[in-house]
Amino acid sequence: MTTADATAAATTPPQRGWRYHLRHQTRWSRGHLLAGVAVNLFFFAGTIAVLSSYGWSRVCPPDATRIECSPSDPLALGLQSADLRLVLQISIVLGAMVALAGVFTYRRMPTRSAREAVINAAVLATQPVFLAALLLWFQGTDVDRFARNFLNLSLIGRKAGVAWDDFMAELPTILGTSLVWGTVAAGLTAAYVYWRKLGRRPIVIAAIAGLAGGFIWGVVQIAKAPSFIKGMQNTLVLSGAGAALGFGLGLVLALFTMSKRAVVRTPARIYINFFRGTPLIWQISFAGIGLVPALRLGLDMYTIAILVLGLNLAAYSAEVYRAGIQSLERGQIEAARTVGLTYFQSMRYVVVPQAIRRVIPPLLNEFVILIKDTALVSVLGLTVAEKELLGIGRDIYQSTFDATAWLGSALGYLIITIPMIRIVTIVERRMRSGLTSVIG
Amino acid sequence: MNSDGSLIRLEGIHKWFGDNHVLRGIDLSITPGGVVVVIGPSGSGKSTLLRTINMLEEPTEGKVFFDGAEITDIRTDLDEVRTHMGMVFQQFNLFPHLTVMGNITLALLKVLKLTKEQAEERAREELNHVGLAEKDFAYPSQLSGGQQQRVAIARALAMRPKAMLFDEVTSALDPELVGEVLQVMRRLASEGMTMAVVTHEMGFAREVGTRLIFMDHGTIVEDGDPRQIFADPQQERTKAFLRQVL
Ligand SMILES: Nc1ncnc2c1ncn2[C@@H]1O[C@H](COP(=O)(O)OP(=O)(O)O)[C@@H](O)[C@H]1O
Ligand SMILES: [Mg+2]
Repeated sequence: MTTADATAAATTPPQRGWRYHLRHQTRWSRGHLLAGVAVNLFFFAGTIAVLSSYGWSRVCPPDATRIECSPSDPLALGLQSADLRLVLQISIVLGAMVALAGVFTYRRMPTRSAREAVINAAVLATQPVFLAALLLWFQGTDVDRFARNFLNLSLIGRKAGVAWDDFMAELPTILGTSLVWGTVAAGLTAAYVYWRKLGRRPIVIAAIAGLAGGFIWGVVQIAKAPSFIKGMQNTLVLSGAGAALGFGLGLVLALFTMSKRAVVRTPARIYINFFRGTPLIWQISFAGIGLVPALRLGLDMYTIAILVLGLNLAAYSAEVYRAGIQSLERGQIEAARTVGLTYFQSMRYVVVPQAIRRVIPPLLNEFVILIKDTALVSVLGLTVAEKELLGIGRDIYQSTFDATAWLGSALGYLIITIPMIRIVTIVERRMRSGLTSVIG
Repeated sequence: MNSDGSLIRLEGIHKWFGDNHVLRGIDLSITPGGVVVVIGPSGSGKSTLLRTINMLEEPTEGKVFFDGAEITDIRTDLDEVRTHMGMVFQQFNLFPHLTVMGNITLALLKVLKLTKEQAEERAREELNHVGLAEKDFAYPSQLSGGQQQRVAIARALAMRPKAMLFDEVTSALDPELVGEVLQVMRRLASEGMTMAVVTHEMGFAREVGTRLIFMDHGTIVEDGDPRQIFADPQQERTKAFLRQVL
């Protein structure tokens, strides 16, 4: 009878949704929150209203040059107007007041919800202060010239490599390629998954990757050089081939650095220290402009670029692998050896499978860094068809004197790296959520 | 068996870690079917002694004989020798990326080259033996400490070893889980397994041990029948140690 009393029935956790927080406000905290939102509204709505009253862009006559269409871009006029200055100054004063009020009162709030509301409002209010200050600063500069030089976004479209009409004309072929790739990838993965008795998820991932890959392949096929799409292709090929070389060689190097024999360890350490200790741009220049031509090795520049990127990555990834392997407990390899596995069997079946899971996120990070480092091969004087994103950007800038070309390069890098960064984050999150769920 | 009828024999074993003289001249013979229990204060070299028996630590000086062969001889195939000597660790050291079944069958498949069916049948047999028949496809992290340690014992036993080494296998367990592991070891001893057991479980040492060794500062201080030593230790150091732990 007492045991029944001692074990209370299980209950659901208390609901702390926004309703709960709303109920636990004071008059001050509620008002303060409203003020924080209001300052933001005033800043954004006011700025947009002023700019709209001047107009966002002007349609140039079809045959006018950029110079003729200048100097008074309406957006620039709006940005430099006295009306906008007034909006900005009011935003700064109001925002600062709300923020300061929050700083001095949040400690006095009686409930956690009220305190959170005041803190959030104060932080929110600082946002228009900074943005308005930035715009005020821009008011004194030559906004017009900036806009004409850097925001001529149509250039990126023109130099993308595939005109819209061509794209639409080729769309059936591209989608066909995409479909074939997706089917093949899904089929192969399904066979593997069936053989290894794994879940269904890899098939879906493979299908999506295949579809995307086929689509990209199709677009790249009809792209003309020089163009941003061709630049992206080269950036991807350089980093992909470099990664294949670097990640493979890196694992061998890592095993070497952990050898108990100095004759094996030392060369690996020298290699790693050399590649980590000199700038990549020096390595690329030395190989491409010095070593290879001087020795008449007969390698073309593109191959040299891939080799140097891969050799460099190997040094960094070796350190990642080593850290991953050494993070395993010593007991793992000892247990493997005591049941009679050889050193290599222990590595292959016990150490590496565990270490791989730990090193995937940092290796993906190295890969993102490599993608950006491909920009350094632009010192090598690659041919037009071989140029990667930065080289393409520079070429286009030099032929058009339109700095928007740099923006095109940046866009290309972001299109490649942002999905990669997302993948790193997702993988890291899955790794953190416990070993078994990743393994199972 | 060695020429003197023992299964394991250590001769003049010294071990230095850097300047740290950890084993200072150990001579020890273990006869087949014997259960040798090693006790002693922390840091006295018990683990190191056990680990030199299967050459996880190479002795700086001295010889180790196992089953008629000198395994300190550089030409010995240690991987082969280790298939005949099981070892169980304080920290279990199960492979976390493999299931219980995978943990046990790995060496059966890769070292003994059994077929998958043979290996799994043998694994089930050993799991039955340690009372975990239904856990074959669990991952180690899904098991309690006591269950993990019993899997580790099953993994070693599946190799059908001639001798088993236990290094403080209950020290990392919650008190209520110690019994189930000792139970398995007790049965193993009664089945005639040759065992070397480092432990702090004095009850186990007294009941199961056929021989007790007290180590201190890298030497064997006292060596004899467990009941006799517990009842009437001859050396001052042994007395002091037993007074502390009992
Ligand atoms: N791998 C190692 N490297 C250096 N010193 C070690 C190593 N293993 C053990 N030792 C040292 O050897 C001594 C004995 O250790 P150990 O055999 O683990 O003692 P016990 O198991 O009796 O507690 C300790 O002083 C310990 O620090
Ligand atoms: Mg120990």
